[in-house]
Amino acid sequence: MIKRILAGGVALAVLGLGGFGLYAWHPAFDPITPPMADSFAPEQIEQGRVLAAAGYCATCHTAAGGAPFAGNYPMKTDFGTIYSTNITPDAETGIGNWSEAAFERAMREGVDRSGAHLLPAFPFDHFTKMSDADIAALYAYIMTSVEPVKAEHKANELPFPLNQRILQAGWKMLFFKSGRFEPVADKSEAWNRGAYLVEGVTHCGACHTPRNALGAEKTDQPYAGAAIDDWIAPPLTAANPSGVPWSAAEFYQYLKTGTTIYHGSAAGPMAPVVHAGLKELPDSDLAAIGTYLGDIVGAGGADPAANPAVAQSLAAGVPQADYRKDEGERLYATACAACHYNSQQITEGRPDLGINSATRLADPTNLIHVMLNGISADQGMAGVVMPGFGTALNDQQIAAIAAYLRASRTPEAPWADLETKVATIRALGAMAH
Amino acid sequence: MTRFTINGKPIEVDVEGDTPLLWVIREEIGLTGTKFGCGIGMCGACTVHVGGRATRSCVTPVSAVEGAVITTIEGLDPAGEHPVQTAWRDLKVPQCGYCQSGQIMQAAALLKDIPDPSDDDIDAVMTGNLCRCMTYVRIRAAVREAATAMKGSPSNG
Amino acid sequence: MAKLKLPPRGDATAALTRRGFLVSMTAAGAAFGFPRHALAAMDPATPDGMPRPPVGAVYEPSLWYAIDSEGKVTVNIIRAEMGQHVGTAIARILADELEVAWEDVSITHVDSAAKWGLMVTGGSWSVWQSWPLYRQAGAAGRTALIEAAAAKWGVDPASCVAREGRVTSGSNVATYAELVSGGITRSFTEDELKALPLKPHSELRLVGKDVTALDIANKTTGKTVYGIDAKIEGMVYAAPLLPPTRLGATVTSVDDSAAKSVKGYVQTLTLEDPSGTVPGWVMVIGESFMAAQRAAEKVKVTWAAGPTAEVTEAQIQDHGRSLIANDSKGALLDTGNSDTAPVFAKAADQIAAEYTTSTVLHFQMEPLNATVFQNADGVWEIHTGNQWQSLILPTLQTALGVSADEIVMRTYMLGGGFGRRLNGDYTVPVALASKALGGKPVKMVMMRPEDVLFDSPRSASVQQLKMAFDDAGAVIGMEHHATAGWPTEVMIPVFMPKGTNNQPYDPFAIAGADHWYTVGAQKVRAISNDLANATFRPGWLRSVGPGWTNWAVESFMDEAAHKLGRDPLEFRLGLFTAEGRNAGSAPNAVGGAKRQAAVVKRAAELAGWGSDLPADTGIGLATSFGQERDMPTWVACAARVKVDRASGAVSVEKLTIVTDAGTIVDPDGALAQVEGSALWGLSMALYEGTEIAAGNVRDRNLDTYTPLRMIDTPELQVEFIASTEVPVGLGEPATTVVAPAIANAIFNAVGVRLRDLPMTPEAIRKGLAG
Ligand code: FES
Ligand code: FES
Repeated sequence: MIKRILAGGVALAVLGLGGFGLYAWHPAFDPITPPMADSFAPEQIEQGRVLAAAGYCATCHTAAGGAPFAGNYPMKTDFGTIYSTNITPDAETGIGNWSEAAFERAMREGVDRSGAHLLPAFPFDHFTKMSDADIAALYAYIMTSVEPVKAEHKANELPFPLNQRILQAGWKMLFFKSGRFEPVADKSEAWNRGAYLVEGVTHCGACHTPRNALGAEKTDQPYAGAAIDDWIAPPLTAANPSGVPWSAAEFYQYLKTGTTIYHGSAAGPMAPVVHAGLKELPDSDLAAIGTYLGDIVGAGGADPAANPAVAQSLAAGVPQADYRKDEGERLYATACAACHYNSQQITEGRPDLGINSATRLADPTNLIHVMLNGISADQGMAGVVMPGFGTALNDQQIAAIAAYLRASRTPEAPWADLETKVATIRALGAMAH
Repeated sequence: MTRFTINGKPIEVDVEGDTPLLWVIREEIGLTGTKFGCGIGMCGACTVHVGGRATRSCVTPVSAVEGAVITTIEGLDPAGEHPVQTAWRDLKVPQCGYCQSGQIMQAAALLKDIPDPSDDDIDAVMTGNLCRCMTYVRIRAAVREAATAMKGSPSNG
Repeated sequence: MAKLKLPPRGDATAALTRRGFLVSMTAAGAAFGFPRHALAAMDPATPDGMPRPPVGAVYEPSLWYAIDSEGKVTVNIIRAEMGQHVGTAIARILADELEVAWEDVSITHVDSAAKWGLMVTGGSWSVWQSWPLYRQAGAAGRTALIEAAAAKWGVDPASCVAREGRVTSGSNVATYAELVSGGITRSFTEDELKALPLKPHSELRLVGKDVTALDIANKTTGKTVYGIDAKIEGMVYAAPLLPPTRLGATVTSVDDSAAKSVKGYVQTLTLEDPSGTVPGWVMVIGESFMAAQRAAEKVKVTWAAGPTAEVTEAQIQDHGRSLIANDSKGALLDTGNSDTAPVFAKAADQIAAEYTTSTVLHFQMEPLNATVFQNADGVWEIHTGNQWQSLILPTLQTALGVSADEIVMRTYMLGGGFGRRLNGDYTVPVALASKALGGKPVKMVMMRPEDVLFDSPRSASVQQLKMAFDDAGAVIGMEHHATAGWPTEVMIPVFMPKGTNNQPYDPFAIAGADHWYTVGAQKVRAISNDLANATFRPGWLRSVGPGWTNWAVESFMDEAAHKLGRDPLEFRLGLFTAEGRNAGSAPNAVGGAKRQAAVVKRAAELAGWGSDLPADTGIGLATSFGQERDMPTWVACAARVKVDRASGAVSVEKLTIVTDAGTIVDPDGALAQVEGSALWGLSMALYEGTEIAAGNVRDRNLDTYTPLRMIDTPELQVEFIASTEVPVGLGEPATTVVAPAIANAIFNAVGVRLRDLPMTPEAIRKGLAG
């Protein structure tokens, strides 16, 4: 998830605008007694559960080994580490004494019950687009179904003045536009539903849209791809480098199962997006997301199997008698091909590395991550594992395989400084998630 | 604590998460049909099925298989009559036999994905499995024989 | 004619025969042998490796087998099973003479008790040595059973026929089961044994036919029990920390403080080894395999390295060259006439060439391992896969400070031998660790890099060959000077025979140079490379010396033919005159060089020798007699290759192998052995080879050591010459012919002569560039 949202607002410390204080000020809501479970309809609670999953609330609000939603998940930023908050319905340390109005304000405005500004690591810029009913359902779910846990919030490790929450007000003034999702009249119902989810609760842009120096999404480059958590969130636009363009159907399949034949597996930060999140959405919603993303990416309805990139990659994968001539090719033939080789067409579960975005992105990060650390059973294709070769091969050998794949399977220019990159990513250690 | 299913039985093991699956299978669970050859994913002796796919267990940390379904050579077929095993015996493939659990698991996975493999297909998929006795000629033939047998009986496809 | 005396064989056969044939009748239901015996034996066909206990009365016509009251025959095998299906081959020899159905036969790989005599599995000797012995044993049983039936019926034994586990005479029928149940006592004197009628070849029913190999089924279901699978109640695990040099290193400090935090860590042992096998070894003990491994990563050891810490492959090879240059070094083999100096002095022309081979690893698939403990009887049990029990048991005695009857070895199935497990050195550190822990069971499994560092690699070699011609272009003299590390010298020097100059030599490091070509005066000189011997433990690796000597001989034969402008096939055939010492002799080498000529001719014919080939494609021939002159397996290879001029890559399109190994006992097994050994030859020709760097081998695992794989496997055509001669070895001979055949093919394809193994694309590119 979003571990590296910039703690924005640094420049605003010097704004010193006269009326700024006023703009920044919000009243506190009175604490309440946590509502009883029967104050909400079961269907509403269920709707909230699905939305909480689709918004990956637990992913960012749960520390490794900690209780769900109890916060203190560390997010490393360029400025220091910040910790997510406890959103269990514990009255003292969580949000148990928040009224629905206080909760809604947090979601829509990024302001907590006491009136303090929340850091934009919390994607209220997306949640503001959610419907009243959805926010209410989320509230119902959290207040009734999440186990209250007493857990004090760890102090963020931000230096002064970034630790001054009032500065967030300036950030919001510059970058934040509150308001509900507006349907687009000439688009289909599915498209609008997909857009509502993507722009709102699933906050795809939080990772896939590049951010400016102050950590705000660049509204002029939506879904253009970005570096996130030491991985690359690939562009979801026509600039997506996959050999076979994404389509509505591929998006649907990918978000439902974590893998598709033509786009490989959800790894790294994307793994929990699918497996701990989106797959809870009803099929119709996943299809709607597919419709919307498919439109952004500009996909046609072409048969992916007929794409020339597939044929080229398959041809490049034919075993070569002189495979020993190149170290990367030799290592690939002995360590990788058993799983990744495809014959006449690409088979499910045999990700074809020639059309995969990891091999085609300008940055080799994703490919190296997966080669070093693998993909566990709870990621990618569920129940299937790709072993990592971090303990088996050295930096130079990993780099050789990556270089071989790049050269033999894609039309892209070679990656520079591969070995250094491998060393850097190796030093990060295996992913937290 | 890691939980997974092995040869149809649910199991729970209490080992450090970075323990290679191979050694969990051999030492904790006591199934020794899965072999250790290189420890770096380059000989295939340790091949098992995870989620139905051939996987090198020596480079797979046990933490990665949480919740997964694992099959070892002992569980490929309860009676040892998987068409690949039958073909292996018909053609007397094994010499020392040490690599063969891995070869058989790899071949079974190959035939599931590519039911009618060409020579290239067999070369590409089986090259990761080293046989130091060099039984390759027979492995190649046995894969073909098993493919034919599996076509004949759709239940094995 | 002086012989390459190979002591193990003669001694073994004699010793085994001398034991004679005992007759015994055990009480019904009694266990087979003493309890420990059953535990220390292995049946490759049972799920847990435990031999099937006999049922009821048991008749043991000899040490080598027993028949029980159900007519089941259990054949005792002293050879190690490492993929040759050796038990199946040997039991079949016996069962054929005994006339039992194959379904009633099971095999037991026995423990290392003294009664079994010398135990070694190597040199492709097993079938050859067992053939006379087990035939006799089977015939003895058959005779006893027929006599028992005849007595029962009061008929003439000559009227009785034994077949498929039953004796018939007219309308009388008795199964072996009934006869054994009725009790049989019959013993044979040595003379009686020798006089027993053996079946003629035409009546052999199991020999030469396909039967189910008894070890194979379990190898398809994961049930086969290898050394690495050994499990002893209460065992702890040892992870070894190896010193920087194989020899001469000492431990200067051990710090295990960081290991103490590892759950299950027990202690770290610095081994004291009275046998000198593993100097400088440290063993980290853990309650579990992973505990030992994790702790070993945290134990810090410093060593004083031995004197060879900086030795390189190039130094070893240069040292070899200087040894060859010194005429006083080495042993001269008896070739009849080794006085070559005058011949070369008067030669009209001559040719000389140097050939080298790099260090080669065994890299058997099952890494080295052993489990050792002292059992309740006070006996030290060594559980492992091993090829030469008789070699390592005395060393273990020294290491443990006990007598021979206080050690027994249980030999498990071997996950590959190839000669690595002839040297049982890997059992010693485990025995020492167990001893240090008061006899507690200790299991050691080496990780691959350690297995490789501790390998007994095939030594690098340098060979210089010369040939003299008269003015008619006839060959009048030849010299072959070969130097390498000598396995026999470092491991069992008493096995070294002496040359004509009274110098000892390692027969395994020179066999092959004393070929069957008639070349006039012939000097064959074997020189031990003492720098190699001091740096590592040179090992016996599949085919041993002929793996390099024949590389030189057969490349050189082609070079000589080309120099004379003659066809290499015709040139060879001209030298196979089969005269004098090359005429061959009974029983093993009947026909001599004539049989070698036949295989090379046949291989050439099958491969289409002399036909037109596409550009940059060539066929090359090579032939050899396998391992030793007194057990020749005649073999020839025709390799067809295509060379890519740009990259220098050689693709081997086809290998044609023709073998004359006498009677083929196990046709399918024989085929498998030839397939495997030919591909080993190919692997060493093009894909293997490491080098000594900083005192040890450079490669440690498969990321850089790159043996032949499926994708590299060419089409193989294998043919056996039909023969009723004595069956000889098959496990190795084909290994020796592939590399020179490929080198000759490369020359024929693109005119580049390669003289160093492995042959690399760089060398070909260099050759093409001129
Ligand atoms: S032991 Fe796993 S691939 Fe070699
Ligand atoms: S059969 Fe021995 S390694 Fe394959």
